[in-house]
Amino acid sequence: MSQLGTLSLVLALALAGYSLSASVAGARQRNGPLLVSAQRAAYATVPALAVGVFALVTAFLQNDFSIRYVAEHSNLAMPRIYTWVAFYAGNAGSLLFVCFALAAMWALALSLSPRYLGTLRPYANAVAMLILVFFTGVTLLLANPFVELAATPVDGLGINPLLTHPGMFIHPPLIMTGLTAVTVPFAFGMGALISGRVDDDWVDVGRVWGLVAWVVLGIGLLLGAWWAYTILGWGGYWAWDPVENAALMPWLGLTAFIHSIMVQKRRGMFRMWNIALVNISFALGAFGIFINRGGPVPSVHSFGASTLGWVFLLFLGVAVVGSFGVFFWRMSILRGSASLESTLSREAAFLVNNLLLLTVAFVTMWGVVFPLISEFVTGETITVAEPFYNQVNGPLLLALVLLMGIGPLLPWRRATWASVRSALVVPAMLTTVAFIALLAVRVFNPIALIAFTVSAFVAASVLQEWVRGTLARRRASGDAYPLAFLRLMAANRPRYGGYVVHLAVVMLAFGIIGSQFYNLERDVILGPGERAAIGAYEVEFLGWTTVPFVDRTERTATIDLFRGGTHVKTMEAWQGLYPSFQILSTRAAIHTTPREDVYVLFSEVQPDGESAVFRLLVNPLVWWMWLAGPFVLLGTVVALWPSRQRAVATVPAALLGGAAVTKAE
Amino acid sequence: MRREDAAKRCYWGLVVAACLAAVLLSAPYVSAQGSTAPPDLPPELEEVAIGLDKRLICPVCPGETINQSQATLAKQMRVIVRERLLQGQSEQEIIDYFVSVYGISVLAEPPRQGFGLTAWIVPPAALAVGAALLALVFRAMRRTTPALPRSVEGPGDDAPLPESLRLVDQELGEEKA
Repeated sequence: MSQLGTLSLVLALALAGYSLSASVAGARQRNGPLLVSAQRAAYATVPALAVGVFALVTAFLQNDFSIRYVAEHSNLAMPRIYTWVAFYAGNAGSLLFVCFALAAMWALALSLSPRYLGTLRPYANAVAMLILVFFTGVTLLLANPFVELAATPVDGLGINPLLTHPGMFIHPPLIMTGLTAVTVPFAFGMGALISGRVDDDWVDVGRVWGLVAWVVLGIGLLLGAWWAYTILGWGGYWAWDPVENAALMPWLGLTAFIHSIMVQKRRGMFRMWNIALVNISFALGAFGIFINRGGPVPSVHSFGASTLGWVFLLFLGVAVVGSFGVFFWRMSILRGSASLESTLSREAAFLVNNLLLLTVAFVTMWGVVFPLISEFVTGETITVAEPFYNQVNGPLLLALVLLMGIGPLLPWRRATWASVRSALVVPAMLTTVAFIALLAVRVFNPIALIAFTVSAFVAASVLQEWVRGTLARRRASGDAYPLAFLRLMAANRPRYGGYVVHLAVVMLAFGIIGSQFYNLERDVILGPGERAAIGAYEVEFLGWTTVPFVDRTERTATIDLFRGGTHVKTMEAWQGLYPSFQILSTRAAIHTTPREDVYVLFSEVQPDGESAVFRLLVNPLVWWMWLAGPFVLLGTVVALWPSRQRAVATVPAALLGGAAVTKAE
Repeated sequence: MRREDAAKRCYWGLVVAACLAAVLLSAPYVSAQGSTAPPDLPPELEEVAIGLDKRLICPVCPGETINQSQATLAKQMRVIVRERLLQGQSEQEIIDYFVSVYGISVLAEPPRQGFGLTAWIVPPAALAVGAALLALVFRAMRRTTPALPRSVEGPGDDAPLPESLRLVDQELGEEKA
């Protein structure tokens, strides 16, 4: 298996290298057959790397401990189902995964990309292949998962117990895929620049793959939060950890991009800016990989083997210098075609959105690097953790949410104050109702009150858009309400899909505000039969059972939950002690309702052998955060669903001065 | 060292491993009793204690506050916070105590003085610069002449495919839509 795996990496490297050079040569010499072979070589990297993936999976399944990576990340006791998790439990395996994900995603993007892109495609392919060459090269030469040990150990070291959680099957691969997926819109953007076909051809393909990368990364982040909430045992879901931040930053960049690209799609503006944004997103992704894989900053995700740091730093440097080098070289052909007619327009709102998103990304990056800067300047490390981000990014994010309520009400090109006022009447009324309701349920914390009110405003403005649109459709077509609603969604998918996502963001905000401002928390020691109160609830500790395993000792505490004296349910809080890892892994007992979660963590047992320390939490509204996930997916699918014809002309042609033309094909 | 071994093996967070290992090394730092059972505090005081927990970083678990961390050292620090609150110490006194023991990096947010102040000033400054740039862009874009129809400028959407690329499509046997 070891030789097979290494061979597959060599082959993939050679194919990617060939595809890269053949693309460039073919595009320059206008050599069709050469371009065809370049394209085929790009496709062929997928099966080549699939063989490598297959080899590593097989090695895990066969417990082939002669391979160092397998010996380090699994053992005989590991349940087979975790083979897949063990696969990317270390540096080398994750890099192999990244190579495969990149190759597969690029092959898909290339095969789906429309022919009218012309020379854009080979140049985009060259950029993607260059990146693939880098990753396969690093995997092969510096972090080869197929390296063999001199002597084969009897058993492996085992998988890290914190990874044995259902979320781990999806969260890491989604994050890694998301980080690599940024490559696709980036490659198309670069291809557009290099080929000089910066006219709006690349917009559709850039937008689609920007959205794909965005949703993959977003769902990956949300699953990571869910994992942290259920297993890391502090009752939180997001800690502004450097590695979390590393995945968040490119996601913020992509969020800016998928908004701003709509302006180019509709109005032909912001050409230069969109390319710059996709460059920034890619650079942030490269920075993320550097933080992730290089580990210059201590993190909850610290990866030990930091010898690769310099490689990824180099990659980051080349990515930034290279992409912006091309950008400035081609700047003259990037002039936009339309001018901004009013600062009170949707275009302008999108620019403000971009400013806020990039500022959040910048603040996050600043927080990640500041400890290094302070150590360099003063010799003393200054920590930047959660309180800093909450105070600085919190208001920025709230401003973004507010903008989400206003932006969609503004028409393209130019709004009048009168039209804005009339669009605001209903949402303002609903918001006032919400405000009074909030006071009635005793939300008196000023920040929470403002934040909830702003969220309610966004929900009201989105709902108004839907209701107004549906009513207009019904008047025009006489359809029944549900049908009119569905036809409305279908008529402008990017827009209404976007609204679904906006609603999901409101849910997310709802959960974050509730759990940040109104959570209750208590550490208690309970003996069997003893009770402790938290909020409206009482928990009674019944006792624990111990089950020894080969690699761990599991303890399960049984707890009765009461509310107002009546029994709600019996719950089990779990902990596993893994001596070989010196890890105490915990799984909280969580009673979830839309209103609040009761969260009981079995932190430790007391020396008397009977009583135990528990952390009790009441986290309001967390349920809504997880609900946001499916809605983000749904909204993105709606936004991505292809229309039957490639029409740009949803904005009446007259408005654009006859500029909105359907594409030639 | 055990800490390094653990880190090498681990991939994801594995702080907890590092924490536990490091706790063993740093144990002498901590209060003599080393108890990890939190003393009972009146609710108002417990709230203050949790507020303090969230402002202190567990020195052996990068990035986690002692409120979040389940490491033994964090638990011991939580006990110290509560003991000192019960003794009537002020929040500032307790913070200062931890800074004197572990250095400034024990604080979860940069201090608003000295070099730490930079951390706080740069973000609003960046926002201000960004907003100023945006204002300039707005002005510049509004001054440019109104849009020409897109179809008359540059190689448009209808530009014919170069011969070589038509060949690509033929070679691949793909029909043009």
